[in-house]
Amino acid sequence: MNEFVETLLELTWHEPKSSYDVVIIGGGGHGLATAYYLATQHGITNVAVLEADYIGSGNSGRNTTIIRANYGIPESIRFYQHSLDLYSTLEQETGCWIMHATKGLLWLAHTESAMRNERARAMLNTACGAETVLVDPTEIKALVPQLDLSGGGRYPVLGASYHIPASTARHDRVVWAYAQGAMQRGVHVLQNTPVTGLIRDGDRVVGVRTATGDISAGVVMSAVGGNVSQIAAHAGVRLPVRTHPLQAFVTNGYAQGFGPIISDTELLCYISQTARGQMLIGHEYDRETSYSLQSSFQFLQANAIKMSYLLPFVRDLKILRQWTGRCDVSADFSPIMGFTDVDGFVITTGWGTWGFKAIPAGGEAMAELIATGRTPELIEPFALSRFAADHAMADQGSTGTR
Amino acid sequence: MHAPERLDGLRVVATPDALDHAWFEGDVVVFRIAHDEVIAFGAVVAEVPDEHAIVERETAFVGWGLSYPEFDDLVARHVEWPLPTERPALAQGMAAGLPVKLWFEHDRVLLVVSSGFAHEVVERFRLPAFAESVKKQDTRRMRA
Amino acid sequence: MLIITCPNCGSRPVEEFRFGGEIPQPPESITDPFERDLDQVWMFTNVAGVQTERWFHDAGCHRWLTATRDTSIDRFVD
Repeated sequence: MNEFVETLLELTWHEPKSSYDVVIIGGGGHGLATAYYLATQHGITNVAVLEADYIGSGNSGRNTTIIRANYGIPESIRFYQHSLDLYSTLEQETGCWIMHATKGLLWLAHTESAMRNERARAMLNTACGAETVLVDPTEIKALVPQLDLSGGGRYPVLGASYHIPASTARHDRVVWAYAQGAMQRGVHVLQNTPVTGLIRDGDRVVGVRTATGDISAGVVMSAVGGNVSQIAAHAGVRLPVRTHPLQAFVTNGYAQGFGPIISDTELLCYISQTARGQMLIGHEYDRETSYSLQSSFQFLQANAIKMSYLLPFVRDLKILRQWTGRCDVSADFSPIMGFTDVDGFVITTGWGTWGFKAIPAGGEAMAELIATGRTPELIEPFALSRFAADHAMADQGSTGTR
Repeated sequence: MHAPERLDGLRVVATPDALDHAWFEGDVVVFRIAHDEVIAFGAVVAEVPDEHAIVERETAFVGWGLSYPEFDDLVARHVEWPLPTERPALAQGMAAGLPVKLWFEHDRVLLVVSSGFAHEVVERFRLPAFAESVKKQDTRRMRA
Repeated sequence: MLIITCPNCGSRPVEEFRFGGEIPQPPESITDPFERDLDQVWMFTNVAGVQTERWFHDAGCHRWLTATRDTSIDRFVD
């Protein structure tokens, strides 16, 4: 957390103790939300969240803040819809303004086969409780008058699935809201404390090693984004995860009130307007795995031109900033939550490009799992053991926007 | 400048050694696209000393014959990798975002693409889509 | 710009290639045949360092090649 924000929040920072009931590695949204729900729902406050840098400095501060539940398999729709519901009441619950705004989300289709996909998506979403309808070009034009329905003469818009409750929130504020809520209840958040290894006793993980000393723990949870394979390797756990860079950029301001979030599964790009009025444009993650946070000109070039086919006005905007985050993409494009083969070591990972929207539900479920020692029904399908059981939750088609 | 011509021929997959000694009837241009694969444009009959060789008709490509000034003016600036200096030579890669094969002869360059990309070539390199004679015929037909 | 040297076609920008991922290598410590198969199919070492990986020259010769790359800085190494 940066110094300016720290002065605004009522927080008490602590020196690390030598032992906690629960140690959470990774001070991003998932780690802090887990600590928050451990404290609020289960009364477990002897908890430390260890963050290598400042909280929210990883992918929680690099994502494009889209909250949606229009997934392609029932288990995922149910999970993400619950997360979306928790987000919509998070401001009342935490008392923190997270700048939550319901905007709706259009998934554009340019071909008949894409239309079939979106029609199927709308029906499945509706059946599973995530409000999604199919809209025709006239309705799309009414929602987004700026859209060129001919797609620059190349990508004509035939229709879209319109996910009505999709929303955005300010990502840092989500992180700070959970951090503040957890810390006020006694959770220790330790910034600038990278974990260098795990302490093992036989087959169990019993603590973590840091540069400033060992910390023992009843349960160690990895909520790491980006270096999760390395953390898991310390426990001897192999993961079906590859780390890819994901890039995004924002332009200068455009007239406030730009309609819904627009995503294009064929062009693999999406756009939304931030609270400041900037147009935020993102893309599919980079093809090759990498831990580098370097941004590329090729990305800017490719996505600027694609977006200008759909929304000609972006030609007149200037690119202000671009950045890169690291996505832990699981082998079946669904998250991995729950126990591992190693006692005392639980994990939440595989969040690819879809982690931000899952912060409340993921945190709540992992807190329940740690507190009760049982896997909540909501996240049972997402256990790491599903790969050995041949129950992969394949849903790549729903990762088209973040 | 010439309109695109359809390039028919044979695609042969065989051992590298057999391809070194392969013989094609007629006036052919042979692209060695990989160590174990050639496309012989203009070929109808092939003799390949490899009993397991796969020989198939290849009709997917179109090509533009360009003079060197035309190539330099329209195509070379879209190529972001070093071009071969020997002649004849084959170069394969991306130009203006399209997968192209370039065949460098002494007096001309043959720009070859899969025909599915032909319209993109026309647009991106500003190459002619039709022969002049076809254009004239079309104009006459429209007037009539 | 990342450059890959294709044995057939020469040096080309990375955009011409399709990424084929790390070459699966179940660790020696896994001895059970089922566990080795499971690891081979699903798991990744996902190293933050030098990785041996496959690339497909999509815009050129349509052949696979093996390259080594330092994933921590996204640069090819010899």
